[in-house]
Amino acid sequence: MDRMRKIKRQLSLTLRGGNSGDKTMSETISSQDTGAHSDSEAMPVGGSGGLRGSVRGSGGSFSMHSLLQSYSSALRRPRSLGRSLSSYLNHTTRLEIVHEDVKMGSDGESDQASATSSDEVHSPVRVRLRNNPGRKISSEDINKRLSLPADIRLPDGYLEKFSLNSPLFDKPLSRRLRRVSLSEIGFGKLETYVKLDKLGEGTYATVYKGRSKLTDNLVALKEIRLEHEEGAPCTAIREVSLLKDLKHANIVTLHDIIHTQKSLTLVFEYLDKDLKQYLDDCGNSIHMHNVKLFLFQLLRGLNYCHRRKVLHRDLKPQNLLINERGELKLADFGLARAKSIPTKTYSNEVVTLWYRPPDILLGSTDYSTQIDMWGVGCIFYEMSTGRPLFPGSTVEEELHFIFKLLGTPTEETWPGITSNEEFISYNYPRYRPDSLHNHTPRLDNDGVDLLSKLLQFEGKKRIAAEEAMRHPYFHCLGERTITLPDTTSIFALQEIQLEKEPGMRTNSLSESVNSISQRQSLLF
Amino acid sequence: MSTQASTSVAVNEARGRRSTEDVENPKIHFRVCRFIIETGVKLGMRSVPMATACVLYHRFFQSASLQVYEPYLVAMSAIYLAGKVEEQHLRTRDIINVCHRYFHPDSEALELDGKFWELRDSIVQCELLILRQLNFQVSFEHPHRYLLHYLLSVRSLLNRHAWSRTPIAETALAVLKDSYHGSVCVRHKPQHLALTSLYLALQTYGVQLPRGEREWWQVVCAEITKAQIETIMSELLQLYDMEAKCT
Repeated sequence: MDRMRKIKRQLSLTLRGGNSGDKTMSETISSQDTGAHSDSEAMPVGGSGGLRGSVRGSGGSFSMHSLLQSYSSALRRPRSLGRSLSSYLNHTTRLEIVHEDVKMGSDGESDQASATSSDEVHSPVRVRLRNNPGRKISSEDINKRLSLPADIRLPDGYLEKFSLNSPLFDKPLSRRLRRVSLSEIGFGKLETYVKLDKLGEGTYATVYKGRSKLTDNLVALKEIRLEHEEGAPCTAIREVSLLKDLKHANIVTLHDIIHTQKSLTLVFEYLDKDLKQYLDDCGNSIHMHNVKLFLFQLLRGLNYCHRRKVLHRDLKPQNLLINERGELKLADFGLARAKSIPTKTYSNEVVTLWYRPPDILLGSTDYSTQIDMWGVGCIFYEMSTGRPLFPGSTVEEELHFIFKLLGTPTEETWPGITSNEEFISYNYPRYRPDSLHNHTPRLDNDGVDLLSKLLQFEGKKRIAAEEAMRHPYFHCLGERTITLPDTTSIFALQEIQLEKEPGMRTNSLSESVNSISQRQSLLF
Repeated sequence: MSTQASTSVAVNEARGRRSTEDVENPKIHFRVCRFIIETGVKLGMRSVPMATACVLYHRFFQSASLQVYEPYLVAMSAIYLAGKVEEQHLRTRDIINVCHRYFHPDSEALELDGKFWELRDSIVQCELLILRQLNFQVSFEHPHRYLLHYLLSVRSLLNRHAWSRTPIAETALAVLKDSYHGSVCVRHKPQHLALTSLYLALQTYGVQLPRGEREWWQVVCAEITKAQIETIMSELLQLYDMEAKCT
């Protein structure tokens, strides 16, 4: 309490600042604050309450003068920044940003700590290692130390570089040191990846199939051009910042990020095709067991995102990638966490409306994880029947398709809908709901029940991803699928097997036919 | 022995250097953040993009040196990048004009000449630099929403008159916004910062909350300790001290 009184005195002094007066402290605060809190977002000055008050009062010429000085240096700065930037770009060893385990990415403070400790302070760890000079460093040691995947092939001669006193092993691994090491191995460098075929091209990005020299694995290289006046596209910024935190067997992995002065290249794991192509390749008739496996994996990936409060917002078959094992992964997080969902991209390409829920089509901006669940329903239908559920080309047509199947909503089926102005203005005919059974002959009763729970008008009534995974439709997959660790594929379980697609065309044919149309998903 | 002595001298020297930086750097950061917030207000930025801009700035200088990078340029790029991250897209031209006016209040807007394009290019380049330095981790959780929840809980503990007599909510929000002037906003959990802002606001007006088995702040945020609150509070108060030194 005594301490509090001291603090209060201090606060009152600082808040009063130079302005003398007999005001009590609370008066001082409220007089300074009234401007700020009446409209905290838009007040021209005074947005930051207490501090600002006396800045205005006594800030005056002195600070302006010093700021002028610093600004003139800022104006002169571009050239020197250019220089420091280019040296920065050349100086790859220190700053190359490589894909790293989130846990390893410290807040940067350890960098400083290790920088000072390296010269003056003897690390106890080093001493201990010196006492044990006979040990040889193997590539497993390095993989473990840097948390690399087990299948990585370290470059020739890399191992020889390590004596036991090498910086990699004699002290706690700092973020910078890890970056340096990863960079020496080849992460973050364009030379590490061989470009193979071009998979597609968009306004901001070109996608190539590639091969990593480190692992011999195929990768997808998404090359984002930076010569645009606007700098890095915001979809790319959001995608990278989100994907770095998402580690799940049903979400596409971002392996590496490569910067050059002209482009930013994202290195993703390569998957053979997207769901759209898969559908095409098997003559629009996927084996019903595989439909179940794909849907379950889609829900599993989404559940993981939703648990972390990440919404995908742009689910469609083109954004679901499938490999030969039958693993399905969510891709293209460019719109994730976007607050508004555009109907047009920067290049004025129309964003598809087919998988968008009716509440969003009618202008609702108040949504949450349920926004993705409608799309899941549409994709479920498309996998089961081989054709899109609501292929509208305008908002009006899209809603028309929806109401034709599910019935035009009334106050009973959708409370509040009759006062929605957009709904009124469209003036749809009054359709009766049709039975989903009639449209999905290949789906069993459980499947139809799940589909109807996904295709609910109101977001809050739609089934959540986690609940959907426990739906009776999936009971035949077994309990163990629910409790798998995040990064384990469902195909790790013996009882989970992909069925052969009877109508599947051979790969060579499909590739030659579809190589251009494929991979829209990775484009902006 | 002699090596030890020379090492300790080196350490002390380093420490000496550090301490002058420790005194001067927070002042510079304080001024630059005041610049971010003021230009942000003029650009019509909402609270959260503004907070993101400040966090980007502070995170950048957690691992980069003020000797190497011009803080006001980093600030301008942080504003630009925050607009992209939080989807309140700002045009570089607006940012440049508003900043120009901040530094040269009496002059005309910049001509669209080489100098202007050079400045714009450096903002775009510096944006990439920030992205790389922060390892693309640019989406942050801010304390604002926690503060809102805490305010709702506290309001329900108070009687209506006590609540309407004192501008608790406004003061807590003002304290929270002010916290972005220093690196206090990136060194503590958003929950803790929100709670301490509210705590400080309540203490300032001497508002007492009914005490049950636990303190009110234990009820709304179970994991924080009294010592943590006091640490954050004294850091916040240091910022108000800083203001006097930075006019």
